[in-house]
Amino acid sequence: MARKPEATDFLYPFIEREERDPGPLMADLARSAQAKWAQSAALRARTIEECDAQLRTVAAAMAERFAAGGQAFTFGNGGSATDADAFAQLCTRPPWGQQLPVRSLAFDQAVLTALSNDIGFDVVFSRQLEAYGRRGDIAIGFSTSGNSDNLLAGFAQARKRGMLTVGLAGYDGGRMGASEDVEHCLVVRSDSVHRVQESQAAVAHVLWAFVQSALGTAEQLTDPDQKVAS
Amino acid sequence: MTPPSEVISPLTPAGAGEGAPIGGLADDLARASLALARRFKAGGTMWCCSPSWPFHAHHIAVEFVHPVIMGKPALPAVVVPAGADLVSTLRASVRTGDMVVAVAGSDDPAVAAAMRRGDAWGVETLWIGAGPRPPAGAARHVLWVDQDDPLRASEQFVILYHLLWELTHVCWEHPGLLRPEVCTEEVCITCSDEGRPAEVISVEGDEAVVRTPDGRERIDTTIIDTPSPGDLVLVHAGSAITSLESGR
Repeated sequence: MARKPEATDFLYPFIEREERDPGPLMADLARSAQAKWAQSAALRARTIEECDAQLRTVAAAMAERFAAGGQAFTFGNGGSATDADAFAQLCTRPPWGQQLPVRSLAFDQAVLTALSNDIGFDVVFSRQLEAYGRRGDIAIGFSTSGNSDNLLAGFAQARKRGMLTVGLAGYDGGRMGASEDVEHCLVVRSDSVHRVQESQAAVAHVLWAFVQSALGTAEQLTDPDQKVAS
Repeated sequence: MTPPSEVISPLTPAGAGEGAPIGGLADDLARASLALARRFKAGGTMWCCSPSWPFHAHHIAVEFVHPVIMGKPALPAVVVPAGADLVSTLRASVRTGDMVVAVAGSDDPAVAAAMRRGDAWGVETLWIGAGPRPPAGAARHVLWVDQDDPLRASEQFVILYHLLWELTHVCWEHPGLLRPEVCTEEVCITCSDEGRPAEVISVEGDEAVVRTPDGRERIDTTIIDTPSPGDLVLVHAGSAITSLESGR
């Protein structure tokens, strides 16, 4: 039975302990979920439209390097590390198109913990790029803030080695947006970490599809058995 | 498989209906969030798995363990490593009161087998996916997006679990709703001894030791075919009355 609100409720912040019927909260949550879903879809559409020309330019530059035998390395922290893994999986096990050599630097816990323990977390990506990266390769960093020190260090190392550098950032691009070490910074203009990540997933998918188109292999499967979804 | 045209036509607006209300899915999300908040509040751990897309499992876990919003409590969410035997790993790890969240297509046999064991293990099961839906009752909560393109579906999974995290934390702030549910039904399947699912641990002659949410029990198996360890059976009044499946 619902309790009647009283004028003195403000004195008792824990009065919600008496709440019993989840109905009103469930209705609120469903409305909130719908509104955020719509916001996310709108931001995705706006971002893809705003970044269209830039995405095609980046895809052409990436395709050129892949065609010349280059490989790509992806990196990021937290949820963005999972975006880095997702992009690497999409490229190596695509639902269609060419398999591309892309590897996530956020994946190997032995390397990550060794570098963090011996030197510091700021070098976890730069040190790996120093070891693996070659002229003609590609570095792709995912961040929501655009400010992560270890990403900026990674981009600096990648540039030093003559790699193509591509950043995905949120907000106004942060330090990645302003850095000369990030040749192409694709920015999702939102200040919500979650909405940024949701649109970054779409940006990565479109980038991948444009790379496939630029390689001219979009219409054919190189491996007919490869039908695994990303 | 040919390239789905909408993937390479990014200028297409969000897509028919995509920005529109998500209807039943929003209600499913709200209910799942309350269920997770209740389990977390009672001390449960959330086990995250995605055999085909391990990055989704990692993303879900990190959302709960290290919230993006300062001040939100860190909640115990763990990834079941991709490549592990899912059912076997979960069987060894989960305790009554835990949660198992999977991101997988309905044709994933390991996820289906894990979800089917939810009631025997006493865990809340939540299955996120796209494409053909799993059969009714395959998991306690089914959050399904209506999307055939695997890349768009993957993007929508991210929205889904971001919302799941957020709504779980909203529920967390309603302590009155997080108390263990009290049984008020006249005939309650949990309180009555009617057909409780159990998982066979070992078999000895016409008896078996089984796992139920309440712990281990020795049961009689005379009236069913001799079960094997790992089988799910229905137990009534100390006897296995039917086998729910064979093996794993």
